[in-house]
Amino acid sequence: MARVNPKNVLIKIVLPIFTLFLLLSVFISRSNIESVNNGQSVTKHRWAHEDESSFYFPFSKKFSMPKYIYKKKTKNWLFFQNKQEDLIPQSHIAHYDLNTLQSSSDAAVNKEQVLILTPMQTFHIEYWNNILQLSYPRELIELGFIIPRNKNGDKTLKALEAEIKKTQTDKKESRFKKITILRQESEEDSFNALDEKDRHSLAVQKERRSKMALSRNQLLFSTIGPYTSWVLWLDSDIIETPTSLLQDMTFHNKPIIAANVYQRYYNEESKKDDIRPYDFNNWAESPVGLELASKMADDEIIVEGYAELATYRPLMAHFYEPNGSPSSTMNLDGVGGGCTLVKAEVHRDGAMFPTFPFYHLIETEGFAKMAKRLGYEVMGLPNYLVYHYNE
Amino acid sequence: MDINKKNFLSFIKINCNKKYFKPIFTGLVLLLVTCILLISDSISFLTEPTLYRPDFSKTPQVEYYDLNDYKGDKEGWRANDRVVFCVPLRDAAVHLPRFFNLLSKMSYPHNQIDLTFLVSDSKDNTLGVLKDELNNLQQNKDKSKRFGSIEIYEKDFGQVIGQSFSDRHGFAAQGPRRKLMARARNWLGSVALKPYHSWVYWRDVDVEILPDTILEDLIHHDKDVIVPNVWRPLPDWLGNIQPYDLNSWKESDGGLQLADSLNEDAVIVEGYPEYATWRPHLAYMRDPSGDPEVEVELDGIGGVSIMAKAKVFRAGSHYPAFSFKKHAETEAFGKLSRTMGFSVVGLPNYVVWHIYEPSSDDLKHMEWMAEEEERINEENKIKEFYERTWEVGFEDMRASWEKDFHNILKNVDHTKLQDNNKLKFSVDWDDTDADYQEPVPQDTNANGNDGSFEDYKQDMDEIIAEQEKKKQDLLN
Repeated sequence: MARVNPKNVLIKIVLPIFTLFLLLSVFISRSNIESVNNGQSVTKHRWAHEDESSFYFPFSKKFSMPKYIYKKKTKNWLFFQNKQEDLIPQSHIAHYDLNTLQSSSDAAVNKEQVLILTPMQTFHIEYWNNILQLSYPRELIELGFIIPRNKNGDKTLKALEAEIKKTQTDKKESRFKKITILRQESEEDSFNALDEKDRHSLAVQKERRSKMALSRNQLLFSTIGPYTSWVLWLDSDIIETPTSLLQDMTFHNKPIIAANVYQRYYNEESKKDDIRPYDFNNWAESPVGLELASKMADDEIIVEGYAELATYRPLMAHFYEPNGSPSSTMNLDGVGGGCTLVKAEVHRDGAMFPTFPFYHLIETEGFAKMAKRLGYEVMGLPNYLVYHYNE
Repeated sequence: MDINKKNFLSFIKINCNKKYFKPIFTGLVLLLVTCILLISDSISFLTEPTLYRPDFSKTPQVEYYDLNDYKGDKEGWRANDRVVFCVPLRDAAVHLPRFFNLLSKMSYPHNQIDLTFLVSDSKDNTLGVLKDELNNLQQNKDKSKRFGSIEIYEKDFGQVIGQSFSDRHGFAAQGPRRKLMARARNWLGSVALKPYHSWVYWRDVDVEILPDTILEDLIHHDKDVIVPNVWRPLPDWLGNIQPYDLNSWKESDGGLQLADSLNEDAVIVEGYPEYATWRPHLAYMRDPSGDPEVEVELDGIGGVSIMAKAKVFRAGSHYPAFSFKKHAETEAFGKLSRTMGFSVVGLPNYVVWHIYEPSSDDLKHMEWMAEEEERINEENKIKEFYERTWEVGFEDMRASWEKDFHNILKNVDHTKLQDNNKLKFSVDWDDTDADYQEPVPQDTNANGNDGSFEDYKQDMDEIIAEQEKKKQDLLN
């Protein structure tokens, strides 16, 4: 009796107390669950609007939105560089009736405005001279350029700036209605980040075309205005077109119409100047192409001109007949961006250049598909040639 | 060492004691701070890739924009970010005053907001009302309350479907209707967006109420595309409130399966039993007492109030007017933006209230309610009239009847008394002279009796008391 066994104490006193404690703790934690709603049970829970006596509150009074500071930010502590001054509110209210906007086969006579858009990686003076020799009235032409955000772009921009200043400070009649130059948002978007050799390898096509599509969209949706009737996509390396290019192409009065892009070169075999097809993105769909597409994963694309992807599509480049009528047309399913005229309404309806595989097509070819989905027809002019710069 | 240390300490001590020390010290610190600021500033200035910026200020009709300046700051109102406010309108004259009231109360710096409207296929005076309201708005005496540039576009698309609530919300009408609305939105968006815009805000005109800080509230999340939750108030007989916009949702397996089973041009629309997608809707995720800052990733979005960075639209995202992944318009805009790698987010606990427009069933019910109310009113009028004629035409005898009633019935129930043999009727058959005498004419005025109810009552009371007494006697 005198000696207390420590083992007994453990079993007889400590263990029961511990068990009791465990049981209690379980019950206590249970009762905690019920007291989540400020100690009220779920059935007594009141909705916020009952407490705040109105339905018209964007959020509960329990929370508050951050307090906003309206003091203007400066980019730099010492060098005050505000990117833009406040535009003074205009007292006038602009009103445009887009119902009167038209795009017809008599574009020049009807004073329809044309927007010429060019994503420009390198500036070729021949391109600019070709633009200058177009016979379409310049007061009806707007130009738009987008330039990559890199050193190369700087060079292009300087060259372009010099030429533009020459033209736009000339006498009034020879000025273009408006010229807009955009600089891309970031260097990763640059559409010429690859050198000329890589540019045409299949592996990098998807990424390159995606960036090209992005720059086209950025250009298009920043510059298309309320008076634009036609949009001409003209690549910066198209250096030779007929002077009546715009009149000829608008004459067909088609939603989308593409000229055939060829290239002049010196034929080593026949030892004389010759021409060869350049742009293979103008094509009509083939059963093989469709079958290829149906077997592809969602994120894969089909591009023309690669042996790995033989589509057997009829390519417009191969439909050129030297003696054929330049105004003959053919139906197409994919177009290139070399020299393609689009009615502004097609773009306004939403047809853009997919930066992602759209029916396994991307950029201009995806654009043609999207326009078709919107119910527009796509045409090509196999015998109407424009010429690409020869690297 | 020790000596050195001591010397050093004492040197400091000596210096500390000098009275010049404090000003010199503070001066040095100030100089250091300015130096650091200068250096850090010039470093940040110099390390920025120096891009060539052409100067076309002296060249007419030429504009240069660096898109990097307009990518949208999460504190856009401080960074001079311009917002283009796009509003598609159709037969919206009645809604415009409410819309402009909300607009004028917005806290985002007004001169950084450009307003653009597309008026299409309107049979009412939408354009006239719009111009009046805009003139009012821009003639505000406080110049800071005026808005930036304002553009009104007109374009008719020819419309197959009526604009009443049930016309618009019927199942069959959805596909073609959504595609048409998408076209309208694209026409507006493509002309409204200028290179110098950083944010694009799409708003339906029929919003009942929303916070004045709506633009800041959406912008500060710094997402590519963001939408609030949209609910609407209801009349009490329909249950007070209801989620309105079911177009904001997250994709589900059911939805994807359904999409696969439909043809290329089909358009799935949410909220119709024909297309059960089992998608979680933003509207139903609302917790009225929850944190308004909570974000939810979405796949399809509704068009009541969309805030997007301008770069989203610049990159080519738009409201597909064709069936894109079996969707059209705003829902497809969400899907398209996601496909193009932009973030699409909804705020489940932050609510914008849409107006209540009754459906045709509601209208029928309301008509019935109105008829019922009129009927009850008519009935009440008749009742009132009857009551008045009753009052005028009939004297109220109810109080006296109480007594009369008692007296009349007093002798009727004989049975009880006869049964108990307690009461025997005795009839006096004898004739007396008194019976043949003329009754003495009573002068009614002699005892002040003028025949009024009070007198009558008094008389009656006496009689009753007498009779009661007799009765009691008999019973005893």
